[in-house]
Amino acid sequence: MRTGDWLILMMSAVAVFYLFHSLWSNTHATKVQIRIGDHIHATYDLHLTRHVKVHGTMGDAVIHIADGKARFAQSPCHNQYCVHQGWLSRSGQAAVCMPNQISLELIGDSKPFDTLNY
Amino acid sequence: MHIDILKWRIHILVIGLVGIALFTLRNLITPAVYHQQGYVFGTLVDISIAGENKDRAASLISHILQDFQQLHQQLHAWKLDSQGNPSALGELNHAFAQGTEPVTVSPRLAEMLKQTQAFSYQSQGLFNPAIGHLISTWGFHQDTFEPVAIDDKKISTLVQAKPSMTDIVIQGRTAYSRNQQVKLDFGGYAKGYALDEAANYLRQQGIKHALLNIGGNILALGQNGDKPWRVGIQHPRQPGAIATLDLQDGWAIGTSGDYQRYFMLGDKRYCHIIDPRTGYPVQHTQAVTVLIPPQKYAGVLSDVASKPIFIAAAPDKAQAAANMGITHFMVIDANGGISLSHAISKKLTWLDANFEKQHHVQILETR
Repeated sequence: MRTGDWLILMMSAVAVFYLFHSLWSNTHATKVQIRIGDHIHATYDLHLTRHVKVHGTMGDAVIHIADGKARFAQSPCHNQYCVHQGWLSRSGQAAVCMPNQISLELIGDSKPFDTLNY
Repeated sequence: MHIDILKWRIHILVIGLVGIALFTLRNLITPAVYHQQGYVFGTLVDISIAGENKDRAASLISHILQDFQQLHQQLHAWKLDSQGNPSALGELNHAFAQGTEPVTVSPRLAEMLKQTQAFSYQSQGLFNPAIGHLISTWGFHQDTFEPVAIDDKKISTLVQAKPSMTDIVIQGRTAYSRNQQVKLDFGGYAKGYALDEAANYLRQQGIKHALLNIGGNILALGQNGDKPWRVGIQHPRQPGAIATLDLQDGWAIGTSGDYQRYFMLGDKRYCHIIDPRTGYPVQHTQAVTVLIPPQKYAGVLSDVASKPIFIAAAPDKAQAAANMGITHFMVIDANGGISLSHAISKKLTWLDANFEKQHHVQILETR
């Protein structure tokens, strides 16, 4: 191969790397991670419909998962902020129930950020 | 002809392999991040440590969480401990209410009193941790608060009593208050204080790369592999983030929002951030975010400095920020309109491309 061939090869490799990286990573979420207190309780696929009952420090919360989305459907907490958050659908979105110490976080192929400021 | 096709096949194969190799290499260079969450301060503590072995990272984080728990017990505004005793702050508040007899305070509490006094003065009284009685009247001193019957008379009496940080006199290891209506609530300070303490502890332990998040207040050490730590800023009315920004080594970020602790009465929202001049919850602002450059008390500032900007009326917000030495800040008003300082506008990346158009983002000229 001549210099030109190597040049094309290198440029193509860079292009493949760039496209792979940019197209493969998007904000689409594929999984939901449920945490209770300081440990990861379970991780579920977002495309299988299910109702999950999770036992927190106050009592049982119900989490609905369907069509690539997840939400707190029921919670024993007083202010119901977690339920009012509604459906989460994008990677990085999270709903936290402070009193019951349960959190949901949507996970995709890439993380849009490392942590959330609120 | 055959040779040509073969040559191209090899080309494509090599290109693909080089691409995959580069991608794998990139993942290998990026060191693993150890991530742990815990509930302290009635809120979520979320810590990541990068470039450190898992066991050491886990033990450092567990140490930090224990320290936070202790600090929380010392500073709790209303809870009694397992023996039925009030916190150190609770005891001090009790003494303040009794009269002007000086009581002994720990060196740590004395340091906190001095620091909150200085910040309260700097904010011209808008940051006022002495209004614990007002916060309590609004029902926010309970784990499960509900809409309260608004007692205008009581609120006006409490405002007229003018509880202020300048009422507190610190003499060596003792303190007293000249005003019996002073009741300290460090809800707008303790998380920032804990952030600085944790950052100092990790630095002492030789940790170069970590991301500390205490109830939404965040401080970054080093970076995440070959990239800076990236932070999402919560949308005040929707789940998820409105924007992201990169937090460089030593920078901190904090937001005051009307969505963290609040109750609804009719269609009106009553949040936990009370204007000390009126005694009423602030209703003209949804959120204020401040970004703090590296400095000794970056964590404390990330917590404290957003409060005066949140409480100040729209025309006074830029001045309130200037008083606190803040150049990077963002304000979301009650209608969802966004104002930004020029400095922070250069650092934000909106997650929704149409955001700037839809929300009439305005650049604030700081005097």
